[in-house]
Amino acid sequence: MSFVNMSVGDAILQVRDLHKIFPVEGGRRLVAVDGVDLDVAAGETLALVGESGSGKSTVARCIVRLIEPSGGEVTIDGTAIVPLPTKRLAGIYRRIQMVFQDPNASLNPRMNVRQVLDEPLRLHLALSGAERAGRVRELVEMVGLTPAHLERYPHELSGGQRQRVGIARAIAVSPDIVILDEPTSSLDVSVRGQILGLLLDLQQRLGLAYLFISHDLQVVQHVADRVAVMYLGSIVETGPVADVFRDPRHPYTRALLSAAPVAQWGVKRTRVRLAGEIASAIDPPDACRLVGRCPMAQPSCSAGKPSLIDLGQAHAVACPVVVDRPT
Amino acid sequence: MSGVLLEVENYSGAFWSPTNELVPVLHQVSYRLKTGAMTAVVGETGSGKSLVALSIFGIQPAAFVCTSGRILYRDTDLLGIDEKEMRSLRGAEISMVFQDARAALNPVFTVGRQLADVYQLQHGGGRSAAMAKAIEALRQVSIPEPERRARQYPHEFSGGMAQRAMIAMAALTCRPSLLILDEPTTGLDVTIQSDIMELIVELSRQRGLTTCLITHDLGVVAEICDEVVVMNAGRVVETGTTEAIFTAPTETYTRRLLAASQLLEAAA
Repeated sequence: MSFVNMSVGDAILQVRDLHKIFPVEGGRRLVAVDGVDLDVAAGETLALVGESGSGKSTVARCIVRLIEPSGGEVTIDGTAIVPLPTKRLAGIYRRIQMVFQDPNASLNPRMNVRQVLDEPLRLHLALSGAERAGRVRELVEMVGLTPAHLERYPHELSGGQRQRVGIARAIAVSPDIVILDEPTSSLDVSVRGQILGLLLDLQQRLGLAYLFISHDLQVVQHVADRVAVMYLGSIVETGPVADVFRDPRHPYTRALLSAAPVAQWGVKRTRVRLAGEIASAIDPPDACRLVGRCPMAQPSCSAGKPSLIDLGQAHAVACPVVVDRPT
Repeated sequence: MSGVLLEVENYSGAFWSPTNELVPVLHQVSYRLKTGAMTAVVGETGSGKSLVALSIFGIQPAAFVCTSGRILYRDTDLLGIDEKEMRSLRGAEISMVFQDARAALNPVFTVGRQLADVYQLQHGGGRSAAMAKAIEALRQVSIPEPERRARQYPHEFSGGMAQRAMIAMAALTCRPSLLILDEPTTGLDVTIQSDIMELIVELSRQRGLTTCLITHDLGVVAEICDEVVVMNAGRVVETGTTEAIFTAPTETYTRRLLAASQLLEAAA
């Protein structure tokens, strides 16, 4: 595993060689995450993009230990989260929080907004009742809601308002980094813009770092500083958003970027096509995961899984073929 | 009505509320689908875009009441005919593709059987001939190994493959003049979505279909549609050619929707 220093400045979140393997029937292994390295610097946004089955959400869930990783290390500001005994995890959650895709499913329907926001304060901070009440009022206003919303239950809120509550809950304990797992993909476009605006605003005010999981490339281009592209459990390309979007190198990145339609008149795309659909993650061969679909595949692609190769300027790609044959 | 295959005319309707009151949801909706053109009906959640489409197909929810208007298909008012007449139009004249193909297909029959049943219903003939047509239709929408796939059940299909099968059924096994697609690629990955849209464009051209694409994705609209109908809160806000809607929108709502889709600050 080649190590590529992807971040600029000090990493607040560091992920090294993360693995998650799910056993499946017949003694086979589903390799969901296969050796992922990530760095997120304080105050920056790293987008993790990929399609269904790429493992991006599994990475997020392993980082916060919602599912147990099979191997690897995760540290937050030098403190290990993986490995760490479960009972010591609570202290970590003051530093790292998560916002989920479906605010409908991630808010307890029996708790009103006040209770939702009070819970993390009670669990993680030694505050008096009056201090907590003050903080709860401050939080709803930070996310663009009003104290009138505090007594409402999730079903009395719109999708956008619910996502605002999810964001307020995540920032309640003043974390250093928030993992955003598809935070806008269940929202209408006009609401999507408002929520993204809120996230950018909070990042500026609070100096938050974001790990932004998304399949929406337009959103990624809009909010992220750097991007890591995942395919079948591995990062195939990473770099500053501007570079990767202007000059994508990995055949998968090219296929992905060229597939996204642009909401403007007269834009012509030239698609880079992959054959068929995503391969199975069960017992994958030791080869590039794109073999069989890739228009540029060489015999050497079947001889071992390629590591990320540094292209300079923090841009790296896991494809020796494109590196040897510059465009 | 030369050049217009379907016309929605001042279509208004309401839902019965739990307290037995009529709550209006569609207000004087009017738009035309030009023969052979691909028309997009765009709008956000609650705009009524799907409800009008379901009405064209005669499957609007039971709690919905039409309060005024007509839906003219050729010279027939679809709101004025009975279920038997409507059934003779479905598939033969008007076909529909739904958002979640795996949910739209019947889970207990094989995909091939479902296509074959539709073929027999539409065109008659024997079982084995119908199955051969089903396999041929699956092949035409680029489903690999169509003979094997025809023997599989919907849950064995990926979302993209299931949508291909659905399109095969709606556009090939049936031979409609009008194809309605209600968010056909929502929930699919972006590469698969692009493949499916290309398939839809190709089949529509090949068969000279009039196509109505219900969507919230303006990117897809900009690329493939000829005409656009913008809906908001049960009303038609603006209609025009795709070029006109994207380059010179006249209504504030259209401008806001475009700006939001392009992640620009609203230019209101």
